[in-house]
Amino acid sequence: MADYKFDTLSLHAGQSPDGRFGSRAVPIHQTTSYVFQDTEQAAALFNMEIGGHIYSRLTNPTVAVLEQRLAALDGGVAAVATASGMSALFVTVLALCSAGDHIVASSQMYGANINLFQHTMSRYGIETTFVSPRDPEAIRAAIRPNTKMVFGEVIGNPGMDIMDLPAVAAVTKEANVPLVVDATFNTPWMIKPIEHGANIVIHSLTKWMGGHGVALGGAVIDGGNFDWGATPGKFPTMTDAHFGYQGVNLWEEFGPMAFATRVRTEGMMNAGPCMAPQNAFYILQGIETLPLRMERHMSNTAKMLEFLTNHEQVSWVKHPALPEHPDHETALRLMPKGQGSIISMGVKGGRAAASAFIESVGLASHLANVGDAKTLVIHPGSTTHSHITAEAMEAAGLTDDLVRISVGLEDFDDIAADFSQALKAAGRVVPKVAAE
Amino acid sequence: MKIDVQGHSTFASTGGRAFDPKGDVILFIHGSGQNHLGFMLQHRFLANRGWQAITPDFPGHGKSEGDPIATIEEMAAWLASFMDAAGIEKAHIAGHSQGALVALEMAAKFSDKVRSATFIASALGIPVNDYLLGLAKDREPKAIKAMMDWGHGPTGHVHDHTMPGASHMHYGSQLMASNVPGALFTDLNACNEYTTGAETAAAITCPTLCILSGQDKMTPIKAGRKLHAALGGKLVEIPHAGHMSITEQPWDVTKPLRGFLESQRVEA
Repeated sequence: MADYKFDTLSLHAGQSPDGRFGSRAVPIHQTTSYVFQDTEQAAALFNMEIGGHIYSRLTNPTVAVLEQRLAALDGGVAAVATASGMSALFVTVLALCSAGDHIVASSQMYGANINLFQHTMSRYGIETTFVSPRDPEAIRAAIRPNTKMVFGEVIGNPGMDIMDLPAVAAVTKEANVPLVVDATFNTPWMIKPIEHGANIVIHSLTKWMGGHGVALGGAVIDGGNFDWGATPGKFPTMTDAHFGYQGVNLWEEFGPMAFATRVRTEGMMNAGPCMAPQNAFYILQGIETLPLRMERHMSNTAKMLEFLTNHEQVSWVKHPALPEHPDHETALRLMPKGQGSIISMGVKGGRAAASAFIESVGLASHLANVGDAKTLVIHPGSTTHSHITAEAMEAAGLTDDLVRISVGLEDFDDIAADFSQALKAAGRVVPKVAAE
Repeated sequence: MKIDVQGHSTFASTGGRAFDPKGDVILFIHGSGQNHLGFMLQHRFLANRGWQAITPDFPGHGKSEGDPIATIEEMAAWLASFMDAAGIEKAHIAGHSQGALVALEMAAKFSDKVRSATFIASALGIPVNDYLLGLAKDREPKAIKAMMDWGHGPTGHVHDHTMPGASHMHYGSQLMASNVPGALFTDLNACNEYTTGAETAAAITCPTLCILSGQDKMTPIKAGRKLHAALGGKLVEIPHAGHMSITEQPWDVTKPLRGFLESQRVEA
């Protein structure tokens, strides 16, 4: 039997056709709970002595297929699906950190990620130092004895800064700190961060993984490649007695999947951000075509880059595939199949022109999402990243004229036509701005 | 728990429960390149059902210190020392793959320490082809990948784990990678050089159970049936499991093992 390849796993991983009815599609188990065979089975399930399901806040058969497919695709030992990408990050912090602990995080990432660390976790005694994800030495310098995770986005949102995973992983491994990465913008089709030294991978499945924009979801994937016991006492949530489950020591009893088990038995148990089975079904439908969609995303992005870089109304274009991008070489080295389908561009005429462009697109949609099958545009400085500080905005390169484009799967000629007329409309604003 | 065996710190999982060596002990013996985590669900279930379940990591495996042991016979002798160090006078033993070869040696040569023996996914001998031995010696990650591939049946290959969200193949790979470098080659070489299974099996007098896998490519079921024929005793076959039945179809292993152990308890 072959070790199945990526495209095959996208379709089949996590599911054996059910024995009773033979359903080929993944059945939607729309149920909160599961009838126990007897009291002994119930007790064994509650104590993680056998596999199975208890209550859908913890696990659900449809969600489990998705989790196993994600673990298969990303090379993880286990995955836990959550209600959103943000809740995936939250349960990760919950599993690793306690009051008095410290996090090193990228300074250039999604606004809500920054806010979670800067404003929410800080209220619970967890301090974060923000550093450039492009500077492994800065990451090394920021790590303290109480640092419990280094976090960043593989591809930064919206600047498309690339984290040099092997270089950063070398730093975190030496410091014995887990490297946690948000892999939403790359998906495992472009790069599997665990193969490059990351220890924990987080996804917003709402984006490219689902691809259809109909279901929210997130996931935490445990690489199983971090030695939680290497520094005695440093990670008590993994190596000390659990507050439940008969005081189980997760590192001793579950080894490589100690972290995923902690997420399940604390984050999902006590905070409860579970994924609805219906959403798991929708996201599974999306993942079935992930390889095909990603190829089209990449080819349309290449055409869009050519279109924008040659357009007189565009003052600058930022994308790792462009030679002038500071991470161009890193991006090509780590992601040879494609460097993502998010493009940042500056519209000549600043904020007013950018607004005019956004309000003039017809085929493209103005909304707060990325990775949809349809082309999307937004002005991050006034929307997705508007809640971060001016300093953080500057660090992230969020200028007034910046428009973020999520390149979709339409016939590129139609996208180009839409952008042409919208950029023309933006151009009409420029003289007005100059006059004022 | 950690105890000293032959001068080295040795880890043994007790299924998350306090261990009483005077109780009904079931001692699990892991296979080539594995460690205590392979038996994760079997020992957790039995440890919480009144059995004193214990699974040591052989030297150089999992959380145990020391160098990997070179021969099956020496592994059996080390296990006897482990039992002495842990205060275990007599135990039911259950071995998987290479661990079952060690169980053969234990049951035959340390019969005073063995109440019953269970042999999971094994045979009278486990010859290892030169290709895999070469990989294990020079390119261990490739050998691990090959063993994950050959070791799992259909369920493992589609990552359909009974523990929701888990992947057999990737979990197994990380488990094997956590042993000291060279442990896999030493183990596989020990299996390859073990040729006295038939004579050893003939000397076994304790009750036995064989749990074989229908999709086993590493110890094909035909070879497993020869082991059963040599031993007599009970036989259970799991049609859809591969060699890694203990993780791929864990309950299909735990259930007959528990039944067998309970029957021994009644007879005792």
